[in-house]
Amino acid sequence: MRRRDFLKVAATSATGAVLFAGCGRIGDGVPETEFKIAQPVYTPNDWAFGRDAWFATAAPPDQGGYGLIVRVFEGRAKKVDGNPDFPGVLGKSDARAQALVQELYHPDRLAGPQRAATRGSGQFQPISWDSALQEVAQILRDAGGERAVLITTRPSSSQAAIIAAFQRVTGIRHAILEPDELVVLRSVVRRLFGVSTLPIPDLANASFLLNFGAEFLHGWIAPVQLARAYGEFRQGRPGQRGLYYHVGPRLSATAANADRWFPIVPGTEGLIALAIANVLLTEGAVPRDRFAPYFAALGLDEARLTNDYSPERVATTSGLTAEQIRDLAHALVEHEPAVVIAGTNAAASTNGLFNLVATLGLNLLLDSLNQPGGLLLNPEPPLPELRIMDDAILTQRQWAELFQQIQSGAISTVLVYRANPVYALPPATGAAEALRAAQHVVSFSPFVDETTQLADIVLPDQAWLEQWGLEVPDPGPGFAAVAVRQPVVQPFVDARAFGDVLIQLATQLGQPLPWASQEEATKTLALQLRRLGRGNIQAADDKQFLVTLQAQGGWWDEQSRGSGTVPSSPVVQPREPSFAGDSAQFPYLLVPYPLPSIGYGELAHLPWLQALPEPISTNVWQSWVEVAQRTADELGLSTGDVVRLITPQATVELPVYVNPAGQPGLVAIPFGQGHTALGRYAEGRGVNPLTLVAPENDSDAGTLAWCATRCRIEKTGRRARLARFEGMVPAFQLEEFPIVRVMAPSA
Amino acid sequence: MPRWGMVIDLDRCIGCGACVVACQAENNVPINTEDVYHQRRAIAWIRLERYWEGEFPNVKARYIPVPCMQCTNAPCEPVCPVYATYHTTEGINMQVYNRCIGTRYCSINCHWHVRFFNFWEPKWPDSLKNQLNPDVTVRSRGVMEKCNFCVHRIVKAEQKAKVEGRALRTDEVTTACAQACPTNAIVFGDLDDPNSAVSQLLAQAEREHRVYRLLEDLGTEPNVYYLKKVDVEATATAAEAH
Repeated sequence: MRRRDFLKVAATSATGAVLFAGCGRIGDGVPETEFKIAQPVYTPNDWAFGRDAWFATAAPPDQGGYGLIVRVFEGRAKKVDGNPDFPGVLGKSDARAQALVQELYHPDRLAGPQRAATRGSGQFQPISWDSALQEVAQILRDAGGERAVLITTRPSSSQAAIIAAFQRVTGIRHAILEPDELVVLRSVVRRLFGVSTLPIPDLANASFLLNFGAEFLHGWIAPVQLARAYGEFRQGRPGQRGLYYHVGPRLSATAANADRWFPIVPGTEGLIALAIANVLLTEGAVPRDRFAPYFAALGLDEARLTNDYSPERVATTSGLTAEQIRDLAHALVEHEPAVVIAGTNAAASTNGLFNLVATLGLNLLLDSLNQPGGLLLNPEPPLPELRIMDDAILTQRQWAELFQQIQSGAISTVLVYRANPVYALPPATGAAEALRAAQHVVSFSPFVDETTQLADIVLPDQAWLEQWGLEVPDPGPGFAAVAVRQPVVQPFVDARAFGDVLIQLATQLGQPLPWASQEEATKTLALQLRRLGRGNIQAADDKQFLVTLQAQGGWWDEQSRGSGTVPSSPVVQPREPSFAGDSAQFPYLLVPYPLPSIGYGELAHLPWLQALPEPISTNVWQSWVEVAQRTADELGLSTGDVVRLITPQATVELPVYVNPAGQPGLVAIPFGQGHTALGRYAEGRGVNPLTLVAPENDSDAGTLAWCATRCRIEKTGRRARLARFEGMVPAFQLEEFPIVRVMAPSA
Repeated sequence: MPRWGMVIDLDRCIGCGACVVACQAENNVPINTEDVYHQRRAIAWIRLERYWEGEFPNVKARYIPVPCMQCTNAPCEPVCPVYATYHTTEGINMQVYNRCIGTRYCSINCHWHVRFFNFWEPKWPDSLKNQLNPDVTVRSRGVMEKCNFCVHRIVKAEQKAKVEGRALRTDEVTTACAQACPTNAIVFGDLDDPNSAVSQLLAQAEREHRVYRLLEDLGTEPNVYYLKKVDVEATATAAEAH
């Protein structure tokens, strides 16, 4: 290498400084020349420094849809991090974002379109894109729009625009599969605050956080945004440290961070919120006029709240003492500004809708909506095309109805995009039977999951890092924001973006969509942002706008804030939780919970996430039953004992993890495992808790109440080895040298 | 010349494991399969430990990320018979992989258990090898490996600064774990630069009496500093004792 070349290359290799560039075809410039730099001061470890670049893109919609950057070296994606410019995350990311490269280079990714040898066999044969598209177009032509359904996970915002256009020309029905807890949350936010986007707590400016069960630091709706704000909440303001109380049945990974944890009976969150409101009312702690919308939403009045929901009465059912309930109420008014959030388990009881209305409604009493340190409402997406239609998100009850329609033949053709209803819905819903009965099933999944196994044809979607798109983060950072997704590498396999396939199918049906590709749809929609004449990008022309958009990774307008309405009519009536199973026969309550790493199982195919220890138990790669120490002592169980976990629905055998923080009377089990497909890293591990839970619905929301089943435990006398991190190194607190040191807050 | 160090604020840490995965991605750490866990031979240059305190219902789970402490007087260094582990002039405790003969003396002498031996040849399916970081050597069977404060990033930044004829800027370089950490619990930088984020954070935390180091009394002078977890239920006496 000549000296001049050396200087050129060295000057452009930047790791510390983030180099953004318009994407274009980034594979074109490779391979770059690698070279070694002899560094006698350091080690001769064969460092090979070439030219790398960081490209801005976006996280998947179900991971928050926020801005990311990806390091690309010689046409290969190497590392994902948060976009330092993107509002809310400001350069931060999480384990799930880091693992996006493993989706891209996953050894079990489908290499191209496939046709099933026999439906359900799991065996597929490669076919060409042309013949696959012709076949699917013919299927749609034969079925007609009214006899076809498109089932998706939550799509990206630009995909939503393409799907809507596809629906307009084909008449196909669109159904979105989201975790039940989010279905309830969206419903409550819409009915309580009058907005279709999720709100975000302004933790960075809050003094007190009261959380009813939401796993807001490990998954949930916006883990990176909320985690970053949590850091500021705790130690970002010199002399002021935010206080966090957690109310929930389990000391979860998130609850472990709380200053105080209040263990409760699952499903009593709403009743506790009413008792808190009772204290606030009877003690005159908040102005009385703030109660009107709260009463309206819950169909209550002052007399009922005072008489029926006193701390003493609620204490008998909730597992808390009246004094603890009063402590919670007092903390809300003593530490201003305070904010209340709720979700996960709280939304998954038979009274989940009531729980969230009563708990999130406390923000009305605190007057915290859209206040610094309160609950910030997010605006509607800046373009109507980017809005995801709420009515497409189905509840458990609606899924059962849809699958009945498929089984009866009223719907003959099912298209499935990245959704996995066979795994993600309880067997009683009938997803597998319906798909077997359907005349045609077409999957767009990049992997052979349980649902794709029942498909006739698979048209694999590109990985998230290979495609174009726009994402409106939901929840946003409190103002309008859009992240742009651009391919950071050339497609690694012969896959096509789902939007491209819909556009090509529409063309084959003789009803072309307004765009020629997903890329064009993305850019056309992006340019509509420019037409709004506001936001962070000042550009002289369209080209400059697009280049700047891609370089920055998004568009945002801090002036565009959300506003809502307060309820004036009843949303839900107070309701106590109920549990399936006789308490004498099934003495324990079963509390399933999503894993921080692999969630509800949608990420179980990514080995980094499978290998990431669950923070509380430190278990990896499997399922287990968490049993309280006291329960374990009574039953003579220790960690590693295999037990029979029996519910009215099913029986499974699993190893026990004795949890020192477990609540007696409760048995917990993680979601995420129990896959029979989805690749080598997911298959054949543990059990899917959805096979255990009774098909109990939240009667108000129509969603699955997966935290409403009783169970019992029987010893098998066998033992199993639990793969876990604890014990890997001899780590224990030493009296004289404490590993984790704790101090009281300074005065 | 910089003196690299790290500050980990336990009051910000939420135990999410973003640091663990970011480190694996950056440093070509092999996938810790279920078998590897069963063998008790998982490799994690930074790991997340969880400690229990108290009993139900007054029970606490405490998280602490543990990377190499980069001790100034590192006990792992003098025991290496082939000088494969040594100290850089910038304070990093380094491992020369192609010099290591796998005696594992360094691992035995490390009180923090942050040195890892490659009992097997690292394996990835061919397609996943596309993700491997070309700046970092893949370690072979029979050698030790450990956290090196992402030294390849430091070297790269220093060379860039040299080419541009300037000194390294304050906080120009950071480690993969610190970059990912969503709560900013991990901060990396030059301890000798009074303007660096680590120096300023340490100065403020010293005033609040929050700074400590793991197993500090051993006298190895770690360059990883911890800031104490704050707990409203901790008694003033306990705070003083710690």
